[in-house]
Order: sequence, then structure tokens, then C-alpha cells
Amino acid sequence: MTRSPVKVLYIDDEENNLLAFKASFRRQYEIYTAISAAEGLKVLENLPVEVIIADQKMPETTGVEFFKSIATTYPDPIRILLTGYTDIAALADAINHGDIYRYITKPWNDLELHNSIKNAHDAYRSKIDLRNKVKELEKTNDELNRFIYSISHELRAPLVSVIGIVNLVKMEGLYNSSGEYWELIESCSNKLDYYIQKTLQYYKNNKNISENSDINFKTLVDEMIDLYAYSDRDTQFNLNINQTHPFMGDSFRIEVILGNLISNAIKYQKESGHHKVVDISIDSNLLSAEISITDNGLGILNEHLEKIFTQFFKAKNNKGSGLGLFIVKEALNKIDGTIAVSSSLNHGTTFKITIPNAK
Amino acid sequence: MPNKLEKPIKVMLVDDNIIDLKINSKIIFISKLFDEIIQCQSGEEALSYFNTHSNQPEKLPNLILLDIQMPEMDGFEFLDNYKRFPPELKDNCIVAMLSSTLDFGDIRKAEANPYVVKLLKKPLYPAHLEELFKANFPVEKQPRF
Repeated sequence: MTRSPVKVLYIDDEENNLLAFKASFRRQYEIYTAISAAEGLKVLENLPVEVIIADQKMPETTGVEFFKSIATTYPDPIRILLTGYTDIAALADAINHGDIYRYITKPWNDLELHNSIKNAHDAYRSKIDLRNKVKELEKTNDELNRFIYSISHELRAPLVSVIGIVNLVKMEGLYNSSGEYWELIESCSNKLDYYIQKTLQYYKNNKNISENSDINFKTLVDEMIDLYAYSDRDTQFNLNINQTHPFMGDSFRIEVILGNLISNAIKYQKESGHHKVVDISIDSNLLSAEISITDNGLGILNEHLEKIFTQFFKAKNNKGSGLGLFIVKEALNKIDGTIAVSSSLNHGTTFKITIPNAK
Repeated sequence: MPNKLEKPIKVMLVDDNIIDLKINSKIIFISKLFDEIIQCQSGEEALSYFNTHSNQPEKLPNLILLDIQMPEMDGFEFLDNYKRFPPELKDNCIVAMLSSTLDFGDIRKAEANPYVVKLLKKPLYPAHLEELFKANFPVEKQPRF
């Protein structure tokens, strides 16, 4: 592939230098010259220049001053500074503020300057390539997120219809009319719905927007218990919620965290006939909220404790999706929260969470 | 809250999905809360129902259960049109949205709309409908079971 020649802009107040530069390099590059910084700016405004060479010592505007002035308006072209004498102060300034790629002393050596321009152009290409790649990736990522998000919604609508039909079957007293088939349809539908909901939660958590709002833990926990204890009314909840100050936090993520932990506490219980208890205690003050959720259920094997927060980890005979705690951990990461777990097999599990108050 | 609630009490279902129209009609029937169900398959159809019956207040619904995601005119666009109706058309009517959405944006948007009293989630349960009914209709006019 042949690329169009590199566009180089050379700014120098000495006409002879401009002519000499043109004479030496006009075969390799597309050269534009300017007699002052102001003239140089005019070229920049009209052409996508890739490499800029500027003389340091010019009346009115020096090379470094010129580079500084275009730092935000034209950040892409690679800058090379030429000076006829060693001026340490100008050099330091150039490196610190002018975003200079190379520094070359006058009179220049053709080969050295040529190599510098070549390298500068490579740097320019990599910079632009990288930016395009990042843009492309962001776009793909964004599209993927939106795709999964909308497909989850589209999948859920007919599924919710199925669950609605099963509810009707129950209300009309037909649930046991076909052996256990209706029950099987119901349990499959609920499982699928659970996966879709977790997928939505995961992708929403992945988006970086975070909106803080006033959180009332008492109301939130009551809502979550209402929502998740709906299918299992034998669990006894002991709440101990102390909120001394207003708490600002990301309500979506905090709901996801509490919702998953409370639903787990209800779900991972021993077989029936057992008095199921879930203790929830929350201490929320000016700095943070300390939340502890304890159940007296199945407990977790010691060797599994480290793995429970990894994606799709499931213990044997586990009815979960392997996504709940993974999402809890991801959501906590996004809001700078922490989680610790302790468990004793057959006695129960305690999750302790700390969420900083964003106030 | 509707100014007056006279029998027959009517509910309008607006949903592009025929299956959901069928399911939710059944649920409403089982709940025994309403005497008549008006089914519309689109926001446009619901609007034209109001236009056709603008001189027959006895035909107008007391509650609209409005789906959010519909092709062409979605639930929010329907509301934009509905709010331009003269007061006598909507004085005795409240709107609740009924959707399978889990999208916080939709939920917040629905709750922020002054015409929407509640966002109900699909699947619809008679108990949720009854709760909505009790909260929004005059108590003495409630049907006896």
C-alpha cells in the first residue's frame, strides 16, 4: 500500500532555512513552510499536518510558545523543536509543557532530521491507529451491551406471558389437572426468568453511570423481603436497622446487592420442617453502611468460600445460577464497597458488607 | 381519583400483544372488580375509542391499563396525546401502566408521569389489581363479593 507522503510543516523566521529544508526534503515529504507562528497556524487550520518542526528562536512567538498554544487545539501532530544554541531553560520548558517529541540542534544534520521526521510520523500513525481502535472497541462494546439488554427484554415479554398463563391455570383450579406438567412448566419458566433478570442486572451494573440518591435502608429492606419472600412465607426475618444519618448511594446497585443476598438467604435453606431464620442488621452512619445478613441454612463448604464470587460457580446440588454472588461482587466493586463471608456447614452463613456513604 | 364512579365500572386494556390482552382480560374477570373490559391493540385504537365516544361518558373507561412497549405509539406517547383530551373525558379515569419492564428508566419515567398512578408489573395478579382499585376508587362504591 502506498501512503500519501507525510505532511510536514516547518516554521522558521529565517527564509534561508525554509528554502534549505525544502531543498533537502521535498522528494520525501509534502512540505509546508511558514515564516512565523501566526503563518504556521494558518497552515494548520487548513491542512491535516502530521509533523511540525518549529524553530525556537523567533520574534513574537517562540517555538515552545507556539507548541503550547496549539496543545489543545491541535494535539495530534508530532512536534520537533529546532534551536541554534543550547538553551536549557527553553529545553526544560519544551519538554514539560510543549509535548515535544524530539529536540534537534541547528545547523541540522540531514540524516538525523530525516530519521526524526520518520520516527515522528510513526508515532503519529500509532497514536491515530490506537485512537481509532479504542473508538471501534467502545462502539462494539456499546452495541453488544445494548443488544444483550434489548434481547433480554424481548425474551422476557413472552416468558412473562407464559408465567401469566400458568397463574391463570392455578386460579382456574387446573394446576393439578395434567399430572405435574404445569408445575414443571412453572419451574422452568421461573428459572429462565431468573437468568434473564440476572443478565439484565449484570449488564446494567457494567454500565458506568452511577446515580446517587437518598437511601432509606428500612424501606429498601422491607421491599426486598416483600419481593423475595413472596414465594416462601415460612422464613422469619429479624431486622435491626439503625440509620443515624441520611445515606447517599447508588440505589440500583444497592438494591441488586441486598436483593441477591436476601434471596440467597431464603433460597439456601435446609429441607422443610426447619425453623428458618434470617437476621439482617444495618448500621448506617455519616461514613458508611455496615450490613450483615445471616441465615441458619445450608452453609457453604470451607473450600468453596473463595470461589463463590466467581462467575458461574455452583456448588453441587445447588439450584442457583452461579451469577447472584458474582453480580453482588461486581456491583460492590463499582461503588467501592467490600464483602466478607463466614460460614459453617449446616449451621448457616453470614455476609458482611460495607458501603461508603457518598454524601 | 375519579369524581364519581357509576356502574358499570369499566377498564381499558391497551396492549399490542393479543396473548397478553387475553391473559389480562381473564385476570380482570377473575378479580370481579370491573363490569366491562375494553380491549385495544394499540395506542391509536385507544385514542380513537375516546374520540368516538367523547359524547357518551357512560362508555368511557374508569381505569386504563397501559402497556409501555408498543410499536408506532408507545405507552408514553399515548399519554402525551391523552393529556390533551378535555377534562370531561378523563375526569373519571385513572391510568396505570402494565409492563414486563425491569428497566429503571422506564419505571422512573412511569412514576414521574402525573397521569400514571402506578406501574404494575406483568404477570398481573388479581391481588395487585385489587390494591390499585382500593387505593384509587371511592371505597363505598366497591363491588361486594
